[in-house]
Amino acid sequence: MKEMRSNVVLIAIAFCAYAFLLLPLVVVVGASFDGGAQAYFRFPPQVISLRWYAELPAKYWSSLTLSFAIALAAGTAAVLIGTVAALGIARGSARGNATLETYFRFPLQVPFVVTGIVFLQFYYLLLDTFGLRLLGTFWGYVIAHTFFCIPYAVGAVGSVIARDLDKTENAARVAGATELRVFYRVTLPALKPGLFAGFFFAFIVSFGDVPVSVFLATGGRVPLPVEIFQTLQFDFDPRVLAISTIVVILSSGFIVVMQRWVGLDLVLPSSGISR
Amino acid sequence: MKVRRTYDLLLLAALAVSALLFLVPQFFFVRQSFYESIGMGLTGDVLTLANYVKILTDRFYLEAFGRTLALSGVATGAGLLLALPTAYCLARLRSGVLRWLVVLLLISSFVSIVVKVLGLTLLLGSNGPIPALLRILTGGLWSASLLYNGSAVVIGLVQYTLPLLVMLLFGVIQNIPRSLEEAALVHGASDWRLVKRVLLPLALPGLLTAALISFNMNMGAFTSAVLLGGGNVLTIPVLIQRKIILEVDYPAAAALSVLLTAAVILINLLALVIHPRGRRSVQIEAAA
Repeated sequence: MKEMRSNVVLIAIAFCAYAFLLLPLVVVVGASFDGGAQAYFRFPPQVISLRWYAELPAKYWSSLTLSFAIALAAGTAAVLIGTVAALGIARGSARGNATLETYFRFPLQVPFVVTGIVFLQFYYLLLDTFGLRLLGTFWGYVIAHTFFCIPYAVGAVGSVIARDLDKTENAARVAGATELRVFYRVTLPALKPGLFAGFFFAFIVSFGDVPVSVFLATGGRVPLPVEIFQTLQFDFDPRVLAISTIVVILSSGFIVVMQRWVGLDLVLPSSGISR
Repeated sequence: MKVRRTYDLLLLAALAVSALLFLVPQFFFVRQSFYESIGMGLTGDVLTLANYVKILTDRFYLEAFGRTLALSGVATGAGLLLALPTAYCLARLRSGVLRWLVVLLLISSFVSIVVKVLGLTLLLGSNGPIPALLRILTGGLWSASLLYNGSAVVIGLVQYTLPLLVMLLFGVIQNIPRSLEEAALVHGASDWRLVKRVLLPLALPGLLTAALISFNMNMGAFTSAVLLGGGNVLTIPVLIQRKIILEVDYPAAAALSVLLTAAVILINLLALVIHPRGRRSVQIEAAA
């Protein structure tokens, strides 16, 4: 098979990209085992110890659980709304309407920092008008995160609605299936890769979010990325290295288990990587 | 038809929920930018354009807009230069290695940008390995700090968008049949000609979408601008955060936000006008 001669150059660049992406994670993990670091972070470690893990405050753990719960809830809500929207656009009277597609992608055009203060202001308004308290609460975060997660879900589900899906559905109807049965046995299985991919990307964006959540954290519970951000901005605490390492390890474990159990096809459509 | 009506109702439901999420909060927010701040987080009750006039006539803010655009543009360009060859290598790889390379990519995208920025401060900080390496390589001549300047912010932004860019472009390149490449090479095309005449034109719509997604993310990011810029790199997102947290001037922050969003939407529209083919790439965004 004929290949580009400059393949070596391309591979070298790809190698650099991977090194660039992974080195920061490697040094965080390495530095977290340095018991000697006090007011600043250093790498490579000089005094190997598990000190920062032993002293890990409970607030980091509850922040991590909160972040996980928010991403789970916002991802699910976004996939629900996104699926309904994508199906409605593709199958209803407004078949393939470009304006509607653009509308559901609107949150991607709003800079994250703006989304953050839009919802900060909105929550203040709700507090003043109805006495409804959302700032610093689980639901407050979930609502704002759902906003920016919806485009990912609409896009992912929309892309897997094949042009001949309604033919298959009609075939099932002709064969005597009820509408409910058609949906569960034909439509839903066809959408499955899109549902997974949409949820996966929504989860990633929500789980790592700083610019939106940082404004919603006033006087309440704080998601982990915001907790780490505030520690880095205001007071150095080597214990963020330990909790960051735990995040890196948990994420790695999750991805490895996922590729074992469900394969990577579901999150990278058309990747062609079988299990 | 009964089924079609069901789908219409579904769409209406989605529109209703999204209107509550998309339009209602934005409306109150934009309205606020037309009132004057009277201090202590309170706003006056006279409609005015004062906030906009103040921003658009102040060199400080205009320079900050220029800086934000420049940093986002440079970071998008640098990200594409790294992501395109990487995505190409991944898309053309046929072995078990590919699976693990994708796993590494997903791990990197799963970890929050703050953790990566923490890693970058360790790497680039004055006690870190990279300045130490530079000192050795230059025989002690290198003394400039690598942190708290524009290039550190660009490095942070590329770190932020690179995993997503690679994933998006991976899908784009995968859709280009390999046989086209082989045909070009068999007929004696040089590598450069192959890239210029075959790969880039076919990848262009997807490339444009990926570039815009990454550009939009960069325009709204402030994690790396705050932590790696260390107060020296004032971009619009950083100024918005300061207006909210330090000055409690909500109308000014709202006006800055409206202008930032307008700039982003304008640039997205402009890109689609210049390259109408990009419009067709809407589906590719699916993978985003």
